Amino acid sequence: MLISVRFHGRGGQGAVTASKLLAEAASLEGYYGQSMPFFGAERRGAPVVSFTRISDEPIYEMSQVYHPNIVVVLDPLILKAVDIFRGVKEGGTIVVNTTKAPDEFVFDQDYLNIVSVDATGVAIKNDLLVAGLPVVNTPMLGALLRADIPLKIEVLEGIVRKKFGKEGKRNVKAIKEAYELASIKLVHGSGKRSYPRKKKIKVEFPISTPAEGVAGKTKLWRDFRPEIDYEKCNDCLNCWIHCPESAIRLNEHVEIDYDYCKGCLVCTTVCPKKAIASEREVFVDV
Amino acid sequence: MYEVKILTGNETAAYAAMNSKVRVVAAYPITPATPVVETLSRLVEDGKMQAKFIRVESEHSAMAACIGASAAGSRAFTATSSHGLAYMHEMLHWATNARTPIVMAVANRAIGPGWNIWADLGDALSQRDTGWIQFYCSSNQEIYDTIAMAYRLAEDRKVLLPAMVCYDGFVLSHTSMPVELTKFDDFLSEYEPVWQLDAEDPFTHGNILPPEEFAELRHSIQKSHDRALKLMKKIEEEFYELYGRRTPLILDEYKTEDAEKVIVTMGAIGSEAKVAVDSLREKKIKAGLVRLKSFRPFPEKELKNLLEDKKIFVFDRAISPGSGGPLYNELKSALAFTPVKRITPRIVGVGGIDVTKRTFERALFERKIWIKEVIS
Repeated sequence: MLISVRFHGRGGQGAVTASKLLAEAASLEGYYGQSMPFFGAERRGAPVVSFTRISDEPIYEMSQVYHPNIVVVLDPLILKAVDIFRGVKEGGTIVVNTTKAPDEFVFDQDYLNIVSVDATGVAIKNDLLVAGLPVVNTPMLGALLRADIPLKIEVLEGIVRKKFGKEGKRNVKAIKEAYELASIKLVHGSGKRSYPRKKKIKVEFPISTPAEGVAGKTKLWRDFRPEIDYEKCNDCLNCWIHCPESAIRLNEHVEIDYDYCKGCLVCTTVCPKKAIASEREVFVDV
Repeated sequence: MYEVKILTGNETAAYAAMNSKVRVVAAYPITPATPVVETLSRLVEDGKMQAKFIRVESEHSAMAACIGASAAGSRAFTATSSHGLAYMHEMLHWATNARTPIVMAVANRAIGPGWNIWADLGDALSQRDTGWIQFYCSSNQEIYDTIAMAYRLAEDRKVLLPAMVCYDGFVLSHTSMPVELTKFDDFLSEYEPVWQLDAEDPFTHGNILPPEEFAELRHSIQKSHDRALKLMKKIEEEFYELYGRRTPLILDEYKTEDAEKVIVTMGAIGSEAKVAVDSLREKKIKAGLVRLKSFRPFPEKELKNLLEDKKIFVFDRAISPGSGGPLYNELKSALAFTPVKRITPRIVGVGGIDVTKRTFERALFERKIWIKEVIS
């Protein structure tokens, strides 16, 4: 028996921790657990991925998981940035943090089990917030138990209680609630698998030039959205100078490029006129 | 049975240093070895580890401080990676000639530019001539055991050499798996130096050495490497008898006896290769595996015995530009004048390219030397 799980999240949401907690729970149940995060040049908000393998025998695989049985998606925004269905085995399970219903998802496999749960809602309700943002990893682990995985909820709760100390109680409550709330449904996909062509790469010199959007539309990293109040702005250009992403453009006045602004709020801090306010980002249509 | 914890390779290395009764740690953080340093500083701060933690401003100083600590009679430990290891280069030679049995964890990572933080054995392999003993691990348990075993070996009167315990960056350094946290009390006592600096009885250490005497010193270091190989077998046995774990120091072999095609490699991909061998055997291909653990000293005789009538595929996760795979070249020279049928080089996993079981399976049947893609 080998169960492989892929976690998708954004930096700061606890995908790596969730992946490790799952391996620990499996280990307590007498299985061999392995947790392997993939690290790039991560920052808060950037897409991250982590893997967990569970087996009844020692695991010798040291490569990433390319054909998971289960995928856990911590953030609905990720659906816009990465292909969460990639490589998932036929009949596998996708556990997704969403307010959508399971059959609203479209994929290439013949059929998959979709577990949908509003983990953000559960996190907010249980006050699982870090720096004002909901942390959904523990409720998502609760929802994950809806998939075909031989772990008891009590074991997971025990591990979470131990890991989070004072906050253990709230996390355990969130696990229970998410497990209850989650709905699972067998959903049919198109069955038309596509295999993207590989790009040819040629590198002779380690040289690069600035290019717009090499990391994709980084607006998805944003948790807070800066807004310029042009009534107060005196065109001092302080925000334009300080923006680390060059996402403030200089036209007639300073303008924020919302495709690439990552929401770091340096502009809000440096504005001498306090003309840049910030609000929680709400993306419509995801 | 001791406590089993789910730990990353880096955490494992730190716990191993603690349970190996390390008394001085001098280290500077660098990705992907940083968590070793973080964990050690926390263990010292929490009073769980009885050691002096020396904060230094660079890797060069970290090794210099370890040499000083070791010469003063303390068991010293450090950890680094990539550019940090390169920056230590001068002091690595120093530690060998000074005969200071320091053990160092190295999370293997590529050296830039281009800026690359991922697994590549090139950082440690480019230090092969510094005189350090070099082990390449394939699991976290192996990292744990090897650090204690490395102290036993390094500090032996017949050896007295520093040792690197290497493991693939991120692939092992950041991957969590079960590790039994054995206490090494029956295996490793407090460090008993053969000689040590003493303010009450001053002498000079590392003074000028004329040509004949320098040659003697260098020759004695070579002889120590030869003796280390013999001692490794004894230490492996003793470790097995005490703790019931076969943790190899020289090499690990898997289904080689009746094998026709043998994969030879080092590090974490040597674990993945095991899966590949099983998969190839299911397809009726008689595959086997030799995972080399000790690259310095290089176990020529042991490899000859295992490989002299096989078709060999050497998988290097590194390149020595202008020559080829470092392991391939060493093995080729070791197997000269034997009836070996074929020895084929493969360069895989450079700069952190993920090496899967299918990478091995395909590489046995394709003619390309370089594999520069993930074969998922």
